[in-house]
Amino acid sequence: MESLFKSTSLIQRAYWLIKLRWVAIGALAAATFVASQFMGVSLPVSALYTIAAMLVIYNFILYDLLRYWTWAGREPSERRIGGILTCQISADLLILATILHFSGGIENPFFFFFAFHMMIASILRSRLQSYLQATLAVLLFGGLVVFEAAGVLNHHGLEGFAGHGLYRDWRFVFGTLFVFTVTLYLLVYMTISIGEQLRKQQGSYERANAQLEGKDRLKNEYVLRLTHDIKGHLAAVQSCLEIVCDEMVGPLNERQKDLVERACRRTSKCMAFITALLKLTRMKLTGQLEMERFSLRQCIFNSLASVQNRAQGKSIAVSHQIDPAVDEILGEAVLIEETLTNMLFNAVKYTPDGGKVRLEVKQDGVFIRVSITDTGIGVPDADLPHIFEEFYRANNARAIERDGTGLGLAFAKQVVERHGGRIWAQNNPNGGATFIFTLPRNTSQQEP
Amino acid sequence: MRRGTILIIDDDPDITEAMRIILENKGYEVRNALDSAEGMNRLKEAKPDLIILDVMMRTSQEGFELSRELKHNVQYKDIPILMLTAVKQKTGLDFKSAAGDESWLPVEEYLDKPIKPNVLLEKVDDLLRKS
Repeated sequence: MESLFKSTSLIQRAYWLIKLRWVAIGALAAATFVASQFMGVSLPVSALYTIAAMLVIYNFILYDLLRYWTWAGREPSERRIGGILTCQISADLLILATILHFSGGIENPFFFFFAFHMMIASILRSRLQSYLQATLAVLLFGGLVVFEAAGVLNHHGLEGFAGHGLYRDWRFVFGTLFVFTVTLYLLVYMTISIGEQLRKQQGSYERANAQLEGKDRLKNEYVLRLTHDIKGHLAAVQSCLEIVCDEMVGPLNERQKDLVERACRRTSKCMAFITALLKLTRMKLTGQLEMERFSLRQCIFNSLASVQNRAQGKSIAVSHQIDPAVDEILGEAVLIEETLTNMLFNAVKYTPDGGKVRLEVKQDGVFIRVSITDTGIGVPDADLPHIFEEFYRANNARAIERDGTGLGLAFAKQVVERHGGRIWAQNNPNGGATFIFTLPRNTSQQEP
Repeated sequence: MRRGTILIIDDDPDITEAMRIILENKGYEVRNALDSAEGMNRLKEAKPDLIILDVMMRTSQEGFELSRELKHNVQYKDIPILMLTAVKQKTGLDFKSAAGDESWLPVEEYLDKPIKPNVLLEKVDDLLRKS
């Protein structure tokens, strides 16, 4: 039977146990101090403090060992991590039994703490391992209380807390031991059952997810194949039409020229759509970015330059403010520039004549934040959550441009997210919309 | 008016026909081949002044392979090649940096389909003037 956790999270659990142990050591020292100083309980204080000190050393050694085994991305086998966990749990049981021995044995109600170790074992280790740990706990605790009752082991009584002689009362000892044993085994059984259900659920979620991913990939491969073939035919159609349209094969009359020009325009639009879909699908399928250091600043100026003519034609003022600290980032320059240009074109397209478009680029911690604000038609609130979906077009956008591909923002989202950034849009209180995206300066960080 | 001979190697007869019309219209002599092997035969028959080469034919890399072969052949390495491909698209390779590596992708120019008559003529003129 597998553990509930994969080996990497098992390592995290091993670290978690070490952290818990720090808390336990603190609690042991504090409890010893409070019980002996304020509650008047007589305790072998020096023995208990010595145990606490030894536990500190033990925990440091464990921590170093774990660090050594997982050093620099080395991934120890699940077996080894499992072994480390088993040893830790067994050692903890032994330590707890020792502490109990020095603090009243069966008269110390802290023996309930064995339950925690059983839970931890049942969650992290296999069924067999967990029952073996329960057995070890029963043997240790049973041995302790029986030997103390028989006088083989010294009894360190909790004067001032528990009644005298209870540890010698065989009926009490065996009664307690019986309940203790049943409790531990039941606890292990119940925890394992719940863990198994969780594991089954987790497994079915993982399978369902893998299936969905597989289907999505299949769909993308299908779309890629389809668009690629269509593009081939369309390219031939358009190449031939252009020649007729340019009257290279003889003059056209007015009616003919008008019709051929219409056909040309439509094939161009179809071509733009197919090309955009091909690009988006290809990126989803391969998703490999060709990372290089490049000047984001230069990309921004290129994009501003390419949108200038269109903006001037509509008397739209395009202004910009770029943080002087923004320059080189790691990413794929061509894709970033294309995304930026697309978004600027969008802003100009959906802003009425005489409006304004403003581009702001700021450094925001480890991210660079690019925002494009316009005085345009804005995005209807109902459309806002969907505009980055493929083929989705807001109603008012459709009214302005009937044949948009509905792929521009989906592409932008792919590009930005592949770089580890985020993209979103919001409406401005005074009209118009702002589109914002972030890019890590160094793509090793991901935005939460 | 004879302005030069151009060999088109492309498996799409319609695109080839479109290019032939555009080029012949300007006085170029055009011959064509539908794949690499036929292209090599045409080359042996007569050496053209320029080759227009499609990347994806029977295989997605056929054009690349042929271009490499030609540039390693003393007889043909001086013939300029205009490659039909979308930059950074067909293979996902970075053409700009790869083009700097002569031995890897030794072609002189790229052109994306569909063919725009004036763009094609501009590139062809340019390449022939340089060679």
